[in-house]
Amino acid sequence: MSAAPYEDRVVTAFLYCSVFWALIGMAAGVYVAAELVWPTIDFGLPPLSFGRLRTAHTTLVLFGFGVSALIATAFYSVQRTSHVRLFAPGLAWALFFAWQLAIVLGAASILAGWTSAKEYAELEWPFDIAITVAWVAFAVVFFGTIARRRVGPIYISNWFYGALIIVIAMLHIVNNLELPATIGKSYSLFAGAQDAVVQWWYGHNAVGFLLTGGFLGMLYYFLPKQAEQPIWSYRLSIVAFWAFVYTYIWAGPHHLHYHAVPEWVQSLGMVMSLILLAPSWATMVNGIMTVAGAAKKLKTDPALKFIVLSLAFYGLATFEGPMLAIKSVNVFSHFTEWTIGHVHSGALGWNALITFGTFYFLVPRLAGAPLWSTKLANIHFWLALAGTMLYVLAMWGAGVSQGVLWLSLDELGEVRFSFNDVMAAMKPYYGLRFLAGLTFLAGAALMAVNLAKTFAGRRTVVARPPAEGARA
Amino acid sequence: MPNRFSILSLGKILFAPNQVFQAVAGESPPASRVFFRFAIWIGLLPPVFAWIGTTLFGWRLGVEPVFLPQSTVLAVCLAYFVALLFGFLSGAVVARWMAVTYDASQSLGRCLALMAIVGAPLAVGSVVHLYPHVFFNLLVLVPVLIWCMYLLYRGLPIVLATGPNRGMLMASALIAYLFVAFVSLLGITVALWGSGIGPQIGT
Repeated sequence: MSAAPYEDRVVTAFLYCSVFWALIGMAAGVYVAAELVWPTIDFGLPPLSFGRLRTAHTTLVLFGFGVSALIATAFYSVQRTSHVRLFAPGLAWALFFAWQLAIVLGAASILAGWTSAKEYAELEWPFDIAITVAWVAFAVVFFGTIARRRVGPIYISNWFYGALIIVIAMLHIVNNLELPATIGKSYSLFAGAQDAVVQWWYGHNAVGFLLTGGFLGMLYYFLPKQAEQPIWSYRLSIVAFWAFVYTYIWAGPHHLHYHAVPEWVQSLGMVMSLILLAPSWATMVNGIMTVAGAAKKLKTDPALKFIVLSLAFYGLATFEGPMLAIKSVNVFSHFTEWTIGHVHSGALGWNALITFGTFYFLVPRLAGAPLWSTKLANIHFWLALAGTMLYVLAMWGAGVSQGVLWLSLDELGEVRFSFNDVMAAMKPYYGLRFLAGLTFLAGAALMAVNLAKTFAGRRTVVARPPAEGARA
Repeated sequence: MPNRFSILSLGKILFAPNQVFQAVAGESPPASRVFFRFAIWIGLLPPVFAWIGTTLFGWRLGVEPVFLPQSTVLAVCLAYFVALLFGFLSGAVVARWMAVTYDASQSLGRCLALMAIVGAPLAVGSVVHLYPHVFFNLLVLVPVLIWCMYLLYRGLPIVLATGPNRGMLMASALIAYLFVAFVSLLGITVALWGSGIGPQIGT
């Protein structure tokens, strides 16, 4: 008797929504970038004001695009590395609908002015509860599948996805402990410096375990699959995992250098951020060496290019992060556009590129048809590269200028340039960043068309686990 | 073009890079020749342009120009030259180290020549340093940089004699190194500024 087929339709559903949220979220980003150049294009409408739309942008790309992509790839890979059908597929579908509904209503609530005023955790308490419940469903489906696996060892990608689920749950619950006042307003249980420390413990580890750890799970499954090569060093991947998990959780205070938190907390955050470079780069080396053996695949596979380049940006972002965490660099870079450039070299160059590469790999397999247009995928690759480079370079230029101007003192020791003067000088860079965002978005739109055309008129292919005793 | 890789081939590098790639692959110039007859001279261009521009116009960051004392300008330009040479040499050494993995030529001369050819448009483009307005420099140097990246992807498989696919992978790995080298330079620079070396800023 053959085993029950994999539940891949829910993977397709999450993937579709991820692409959809990528377009909407990035478009919101492009619009707020345009607002920085032409401030009047909010037309005096509160939902279009920078503060709300920018929050909608980060929420949509992080939780709409990013998390949907992570759940899709986690469900796809956990079945194949465990040789069983997804545990509780009904719950997986419930998670799908709940998550998408939370994104729609959550984004609407932000545009309507609801906010808990915690960066990347702005959604108010009803959504915090809904997300917690949905996340438990994610955990049950994922760990339930692992518990029923027919393969002895738990493959490395599942360790990363597992860490994503557990740590994000912990961060989300602790950072959102709050007292509801009305349906749309609550107050944090933490106050003052304590609130700041908890917030950046959350904020930085959301970057760590969602944008880094979760996407490393994606890398560890899909890179060897695409390269048709085993991981270069499995042992290194395990060592890097534990070093990564242990080190990352301490790094948050580097967001609070020179703030009203104890000096030792800041220094600890800085030192742990520097140590973090080792496990981050161990993973990069592992990826680069894995793909090095698969050179011939590059010719036929547009997806692999995205992953190769994403590794280069991963290397950049995970080096730049610890560097910016050094207090004598941070004194200059903090509050400048350099930080925004750093975030986007990670978010566009690493997260988005690896997700695009994975989607180009996944969709032909889910649809059972070759990619509609390899040429379009190649054009997307160059648009994505150009957009990211332009973004990062514009923000480096803006950030370093801001740093110098803000720290310039006159003969009397007073600040030489006013905040307004400095911001006015940033306009050309903001124009360049708007162009960069538009270029990147155009590439993503080409991908959406390409993937939709590949899937047009088809249903998700029914795949089955290998027979008992066979290997993946 | 036997043994003729020198500063005199700059025109050819800018306008017919493919010919130069082929020539270097055939000729395999010695490392000392690449360094002394070519690299060191184009490496001088950016600091010299920057020195002239900074002295004449000051740093233009969008508000008022920032003028630095002449001794600071000289020190910054000298540091710029050293950083460029370090970036160039380390890039070549890293390329040679990576060559083992990607089954490419491990000749140091070839690796140096590759880095020099790829960097040449940036060195020439640094003529914009004559007017050190940051945004204007960025506007000119970003397209030049993209051209340099194209040259790296295009030239690496020819100069280092590896397949086009391996070449693409190696070029990407090398770009990762160059990114890191560049961002380190930014970090070191602002840390030096913060400790009182460079423009007078109040940290």
